[in-house]
Amino acid sequence: MRALCWNGVNDLRVETVSDPEIINPSDVILKVRLSTTCGSDLHLIDGLIPTMREGDVLGHEFMGEIVDVGREVTKVKRGDRVVVPSFISCGKCWYCQHDLYSLCDTTHPKPELQEPLLGYPTAGIYAYSHAFGGYSGAHAEYVRVPFADTDCFLVPDGVADDAALFISDAAPTGFMGADFCNIHQGDVIAVWGCGGVGLMAQQGAMILGAERVIAIDKYPERLAQAEAFGAIPLDFTKVDVIEALQELTGGRGPDACIDAVGMEADGTGVQKVYDGVKQALHLETDRGAALRQAMLAVRKGGTLSILGVYGVMDKFPLGLIMNKGITVRTAQQHGQAYVDRLLEYTQRGELTPAALATHRFSLEDSPKGYHMFKHKEDGCLRSVFVP
Amino acid sequence: MSDVESDANLEADAHASITIGKPAADLHALWLRPETQSRIWAHFADVRVVGDRTAEWVAKGPAGGEYRWQTLTKANSPNELSWSTLDKADVANQGVLTMRPAPGDRGTELYLDVRFDPPGGIVGKAISKMFHIVPREIVRTALYRFRALALTGEIARTDPQPAGRNGGTDH
Repeated sequence: MRALCWNGVNDLRVETVSDPEIINPSDVILKVRLSTTCGSDLHLIDGLIPTMREGDVLGHEFMGEIVDVGREVTKVKRGDRVVVPSFISCGKCWYCQHDLYSLCDTTHPKPELQEPLLGYPTAGIYAYSHAFGGYSGAHAEYVRVPFADTDCFLVPDGVADDAALFISDAAPTGFMGADFCNIHQGDVIAVWGCGGVGLMAQQGAMILGAERVIAIDKYPERLAQAEAFGAIPLDFTKVDVIEALQELTGGRGPDACIDAVGMEADGTGVQKVYDGVKQALHLETDRGAALRQAMLAVRKGGTLSILGVYGVMDKFPLGLIMNKGITVRTAQQHGQAYVDRLLEYTQRGELTPAALATHRFSLEDSPKGYHMFKHKEDGCLRSVFVP
Repeated sequence: MSDVESDANLEADAHASITIGKPAADLHALWLRPETQSRIWAHFADVRVVGDRTAEWVAKGPAGGEYRWQTLTKANSPNELSWSTLDKADVANQGVLTMRPAPGDRGTELYLDVRFDPPGGIVGKAISKMFHIVPREIVRTALYRFRALALTGEIARTDPQPAGRNGGTDH
């Protein structure tokens, strides 16, 4: 089959590789109908995350049709149109049973690579380096999905492929971020980042009853999309974000701040230069301008919900969190806990993830799709690949 | 790698613990099932059952080296299993698996102690050099795999799978 392979820093090529096969009895093989780019892929492509190997097939956000099933699979069958969260979860361990799916205790094929970094291995994830399991990805014609009964979710009629696609990752990640904010009546939620995850966090916060959602970014087309979703847009290159947030909240500050940016945050001024140099020298893999600003902006006793992906940030203003009594909530997406609900919201038109699909490419043109996505050309929010 | 990791390189003893959400009796029975040993140690050695509670181990070292031994496993009590190598082992070793109830609804805690006695009394670094893996990783990974098997009936694997190398497949 054809697949998009990582061959080194900024070296992506579509190559002919073998077809995936059923390995374990709970596996299925999916014929990929759509897959998409994620901001976190850029860390891999840029070489910021170690343990990638030349030839790794990329892609962790996808949906498709089941074409082959392992002998232990009972809930889904050949021909089902399904969406699959990017973390692989068994559904049987303590973490899965407590809805902490991305922390699954059994799906990491190489725990010894990750344990020294984190203390304990996380769940495996598709195409996210060998430290995260080394599973082959979904920018391909076919992909193997382990634990299909737990991880494959039937897409109902009335939810199109390009909406279901983002319920693989952007939507559950964003929605989980809003869920972490424990939203009460009257709450104002500020979201840093209007990429796929940020926009889904904004819609999620509205669904969960936020009084007002404020969206922070610098790209006009992304801010326009946030505004179309009902958020108040703030361009951080044009206004002082902290002042603007105080102004919009009667001086209280947002009740919760969501960081949907992570280590690709573009700051301004000296902090940006300093962070950029450190990153270039691999002194630390994070910049974190958005996170620092969110910590300052959030009201006393508020919640900081971190969705952006971070590596090792060794210089972190912990005193801000302590003295302001901030509650920090963060995780990689526990998608399996949210997917059914998100499919329902989508069916009812309350969640509109298809809006993220701004650009469509054939799988053969996927390197071009990543280039456009990375450089945010032509207002590219997400590149979608059709194998 | 942290300092803790490099220290682990010097150990010929390895200890690891894990909690599995199953009763001790189930885990005891699963450990003794012949195919279990070959599956949970596959990152380290080929284990083949050759008789009642005896198994033949072949561990591969770097540069094509092979180390062989046979083990005899004993059920000391419902909560304790142990094994030791028979005579003529290339690398003598012994292991003890102890089980205790975990608090609350968490199942059973497993404690695994393995001691390697390489020929000539070489200790430490030699073990990780011989096997290309440090003893601590050998036992931690085996327990991880055992938990996966106990809870799900399978062990996470990624081979064979598509990749743009080795002619299109990772083995």
